Amino acid sequence: MKLVVFNGSPRRKKSNSKILMEQFLKGYNEIQKDDVPLYYLASMKRMNEYVDAFQHAQTVLFIFPLYTDSMPGVVKFFIEKISELKPFNTKNIGFIVQSGFPEAHHSTYLERYLEKWTRRIQSTYLGTVIRGGVEGIQIQPRSWTRKLFRAFYELGKGFADSGSFHPDIVARLRKPYMLSAPRRLSFRFMALIGLTNYYWNMKLKEHHAYDIRFDRPYMD
Amino acid sequence: MHISLLYGNPNPDDQAFLNYLDGLRSAVSDSHTLDIWDIEKMDIHYCIGCWTCWWETPGRCVHKDDGPDIFKSVIHADLLILASPMMAGFTSSSLKRICDRLIVLLHPYITFIKKECHHWKRYDTYPKIGLLLKKEPDTDKEDLLITRDIYDRFAINFHSRILFMDFIEDTAVDQLIEKTVSIQNAISI
Repeated sequence: MKLVVFNGSPRRKKSNSKILMEQFLKGYNEIQKDDVPLYYLASMKRMNEYVDAFQHAQTVLFIFPLYTDSMPGVVKFFIEKISELKPFNTKNIGFIVQSGFPEAHHSTYLERYLEKWTRRIQSTYLGTVIRGGVEGIQIQPRSWTRKLFRAFYELGKGFADSGSFHPDIVARLRKPYMLSAPRRLSFRFMALIGLTNYYWNMKLKEHHAYDIRFDRPYMD
Repeated sequence: MHISLLYGNPNPDDQAFLNYLDGLRSAVSDSHTLDIWDIEKMDIHYCIGCWTCWWETPGRCVHKDDGPDIFKSVIHADLLILASPMMAGFTSSSLKRICDRLIVLLHPYITFIKKECHHWKRYDTYPKIGLLLKKEPDTDKEDLLITRDIYDRFAINFHSRILFMDFIEDTAVDQLIEKTVSIQNAISI
């Protein structure tokens, strides 16, 4: 199907998006043996090459993190570049948006934009896969991430087979859409005993910055 | 009232927008202070997602560029105006580049706002936000609704709210000034 993948994470090869896409492509290559070109949009010196790769692809997937409630700046830059292409070769476009926030709800506003933009460039929208709670997967034990990675593997496999995202997997990945009242309560309890911000505190201490974590340097 | 205006426009020859900002600058100079930051004329890097500003030098961005001038202006402002032409159905990548960097003004810790996870404040107060846009030839109602909704979300995360979304082709400079004055009065009440 001449698939091309654009990773729009500002962290490039150190990104959570890369890890999720690796699982997706593992599944994809179970069915389709083509070597899928993968481009990192944050390496902006190669932007012309990316635009060219986009123009010649039949099917395109974007994967990136939610950044201040929409796409990262580099992704918007790329979107502007390819929106100017004339003539534009229509294609099938799908998106995977992951966020640090656990709830999928945060990314659903951007989802509306992505759907509209795909229509604007007269292409076929394959949908947006939304996954929350992804920050931290690089330090979590394998037992915590096994189900998530498996879901992305299956998503890729299904995509190679049908050219679309399997709706059951998409629905599963979207959970939780919002945190339920019991989950919010347990979150508050964890906050009381200092577990909620464990990840941040660990990193702050690692960098000897814990004592200055409430600094307001731009106040003066 | 102190206004900080972030102008993100990749097209340096957009005379309509530049004229509007000039008009704004001269109209507000007596009664307000107005900082206009033209992102494309400054050294502003993209956020690289390194979290240095959250866990290594809390509150300080890793980039050695013009960012801190903007961060100081924004955090001291009563009103933050985000100005941009609509491009491909949303605000420009230039504006997005600086908006991504504003996470430096927040704290990594998580709290609940409206039953959802959001980040803690780093500062006591954050400016209210106004959007100043310019339509594309094919801008439609759906584009405007999506843009407004995304910025309403941005405002929640920024412990703020959107006070207006105006267009340089629809709202005269005087009207915008009137609006900022009434906002100033509302804030001071």
